Amino acid sequence: MSILVLDILTTSAILFVVAAGLMVILGVMKLINFAHGAFLTVGGYAAFLTTSAGISPWLAAPLAGLFGFASGLVIERLIVRPLYDRPLDAILATWGLGIVIGQLITLAFGRGVQFADSPLTGVTSLLGPDYSAWRIAVSAIAIGVGLALTALLYFTRFGLNARAVIMNEALARGLGIDSVRVRAVTFGLGAGLACAAGALITPLLSVDPNMGLPWLVNSFMLVMVSGVSFPSLALAALAFGGAQVLVSTYVSPIVGGLTIVVLAALVLRVNPKGFARG
Amino acid sequence: MKRLRPSLPGLAAGILAAGLFASGAVQAADPIKIGVPIGLSGANSVVAPSVIQSAELAIEEINAAGGVLGRMLELVVADDGSGAQGAQRAYDSLIFQQKVDAIITMETSAARNAGLPIVNRGQTPFIYTSFYEGRSCSPWMYVNAWVPEQQVGPIVDHFMAAFDAKSFFLIGSDYAFGRGMLEFTRDYIEANGGTVLGEEYLPMDGSDWTPIISQLRASGADALITSTAGGAPNVTLTKQLRAAGVSLPYGNLAVDEGTAAGMGADAEGIFIAGSYVTTIDSPENAAFLAAMKAKFGADLRTPNDLSVPQYEAIYAYKAAVEKVGSTDAQGVIDALGAVEVTGPRGTIVMNKQRHAPLTMYLGEVKADGSVDVIKAFPNVDPGAQCPQFAG
Repeated sequence: MSILVLDILTTSAILFVVAAGLMVILGVMKLINFAHGAFLTVGGYAAFLTTSAGISPWLAAPLAGLFGFASGLVIERLIVRPLYDRPLDAILATWGLGIVIGQLITLAFGRGVQFADSPLTGVTSLLGPDYSAWRIAVSAIAIGVGLALTALLYFTRFGLNARAVIMNEALARGLGIDSVRVRAVTFGLGAGLACAAGALITPLLSVDPNMGLPWLVNSFMLVMVSGVSFPSLALAALAFGGAQVLVSTYVSPIVGGLTIVVLAALVLRVNPKGFARG
Repeated sequence: MKRLRPSLPGLAAGILAAGLFASGAVQAADPIKIGVPIGLSGANSVVAPSVIQSAELAIEEINAAGGVLGRMLELVVADDGSGAQGAQRAYDSLIFQQKVDAIITMETSAARNAGLPIVNRGQTPFIYTSFYEGRSCSPWMYVNAWVPEQQVGPIVDHFMAAFDAKSFFLIGSDYAFGRGMLEFTRDYIEANGGTVLGEEYLPMDGSDWTPIISQLRASGADALITSTAGGAPNVTLTKQLRAAGVSLPYGNLAVDEGTAAGMGADAEGIFIAGSYVTTIDSPENAAFLAAMKAKFGADLRTPNDLSVPQYEAIYAYKAAVEKVGSTDAQGVIDALGAVEVTGPRGTIVMNKQRHAPLTMYLGEVKADGSVDVIKAFPNVDPGAQCPQFAG
């Protein structure tokens, strides 16, 4: 495979895994979680703490995920649940939450750049040309995460309940599904995914209080376009990530940085449902 | 009891002594104020504390030795938020409310450009202590840090001589310093017979360098020179370069010793050039480092290429005031271009169109984060920065 193809595939996989947590929360709770960027940052700091405690860097993402899940449950109970009936206020609350998390991180760790160890360093020629080993590993993990989430949604009781809540929450509640519990678990899951994703991308980035922010906008655009389905999120990530790499390579990386936002606006203009089926 | 009753002459002597003491107190209460508008928040917030520490040491040393013309020095620090708006407030307040006698500081270029008109209006001597993209001129400003003419040459020359590099690839962050440095680098490379195969920029908040790195690898360049914003962009680019297996000669125009040390193994092999590294082997540098350590102990921020010029600039101001015999602004400005200061970076005089010839050090970062000085380039000329002040 050529380097360009690998660039496109790995960029798409990273976009997918970063946006997955946002989509889970949007799908079930109809809530755009503006604290998503802050959750990614928390994941980065979790990776930093994990590796500086001498724990294997391979455990950074799972530990960040567990921490995110637990914090997500607490945040849902304290901040999001009281605002269920006021969706716009809930969105504002997540925005404020993102700012609070960012400031807490700054207070605890300072504004400076921290460094976390990477599980894999250097290059591999597994797929042809020499290529960053960690990018390939993240891509494999992203595919695994996508399959696991799809299985969760379609082959488990929780998935059935969650899909029922996604389709018609009032009806689901009428059928005896505890939608409050589904929402709580979903928020925890979304926060956990975001933290784990933050830990996963940390070896490619620096850990600082703003590391998650640039990813928030792109995640948001992908989720807007894809609707609530993992296959269509994967498709959107592939299409937009690919376009971003191509524009960056052949036009200019500065224009490349705008690609996803511009394409998302165009796609939604032409087809408001985006990549979602039906 | 009788013995304790003071005699009349004794009382008179006491009153006289008290009067003398009081007049001394008045003099001590009238210090020379040095304004330091600096980015305690925003982009410069990581480096600013180290700059203030070295300024505090200079002030403490000078005051302990009796001050300047018998007056104490006093530091007045104002946060400018690292940007233009904050700088306007900070300079206004320092110059027109605090009425400082001089401004001595390290700043972002945006903040400096916003502050200069206020300096000109207030006619306050200003020593700028940050390296920058060059060609900023004011009748009230001197600069004691490096400009591209002094920094880029050593790296490019070394790559051409030691690695036989003919083709270069340039990567930067999309802002004034990043573009300014790389434009100068391109001109310098082409003037010296090399070619530039690519010059690519990512926005300041961009974090995915993948397409640029792929272009770098496809270009087949002999060497790489980068000039990103400090902090996060520098680290992400370096990490991703290493993850992609790039092992070309790699010159980084924007990394300092401290950041390089923090990056660990990823920083190994990076070439840096600056006017200060902690390993400079001179009695002045050893004394400076020991004094910093004694004063700040565990809170010490590693002295660097931004904090040391600040320390030296305060001594330059002291020398100028002593030469003139007062803090008269025009007199100090006339004297600043002639006074010599010997500090951690050697003997420096700002006599080249308001800028200073500097000894530049080319260093290579080692695996343990320390910087190995490969070569020193004595008294590199800053070139024609402000021709209106020539002669």
